[in-house]
Amino acid sequence: MADTDTLTRTDEETSLDVPWNVVVHDDPVNLMQYVTFVLIKIFGYDEKKASILMMQVHKQGRSIVWSGDREKAEFYVQQLQAHQLKTSLEKAQ
Amino acid sequence: MKAMPTLEGGLRIDTEDESDWEVLRAIIADANCCGIDLASRLGGLISDEAGSQDWEDFVVPDLREAFQDELAQVGASIEAAIHHSTNGPGPLWITREDGFAWYSSLNQARLAIEEHYAFGPGESISPKGLTPARRAAFIRSRFYCTIQGLLLEHVIR
Repeated sequence: MADTDTLTRTDEETSLDVPWNVVVHDDPVNLMQYVTFVLIKIFGYDEKKASILMMQVHKQGRSIVWSGDREKAEFYVQQLQAHQLKTSLEKAQ
Repeated sequence: MKAMPTLEGGLRIDTEDESDWEVLRAIIADANCCGIDLASRLGGLISDEAGSQDWEDFVVPDLREAFQDELAQVGASIEAAIHHSTNGPGPLWITREDGFAWYSSLNQARLAIEEHYAFGPGESISPKGLTPARRAAFIRSRFYCTIQGLLLEHVIR
């Protein structure tokens, strides 16, 4: 019986995933205080950061409130929509 | 109608006559009005690139069900309070546990009114210049907003 060795070579190739942005859009109904509250509740942001993002939504019409991998971004969008915030998901440029 | 926070972290709304109950019932009617589906409108914000069809198939039905459950919960609370008050003046209690369902239902009502009447931010609108139907909707929307403010301040946070 011949001795045989099996050599296994693994080539690894990695590339960075493009992050996805969670975007909250302005609307005339949701109260500013509520938007801040939801950002704190969902992302665990402190009040200062949540307020800055809320003001971006209010003044610029939209704000990227989180960026990262797609699965988590989808989860956050779902959570924000469940709180009735106008939220979309977009690939980061 | 009077509203005040309770020691248990909730809100108490005291109606003063039968018409106040109708105003509260209008929350549900407004939220369901005009065939506007909030869950679908939110789902419409998802682009094709982000998987709009999957969102429509898997997420929107859950959102729709959650929004309807919240409306049903609030509607049942209102009807129970009316029943206890035998259609006369009486209290309606919003517990801390029910706070979010109430906030959500009021929001759904305001979003539907806004979708239909497009009032915008509202601060600059004078009710005097509006048609009776628009004026009534505007006043209801402002009332819902006031209750939402109380819920945020005293119940939800």
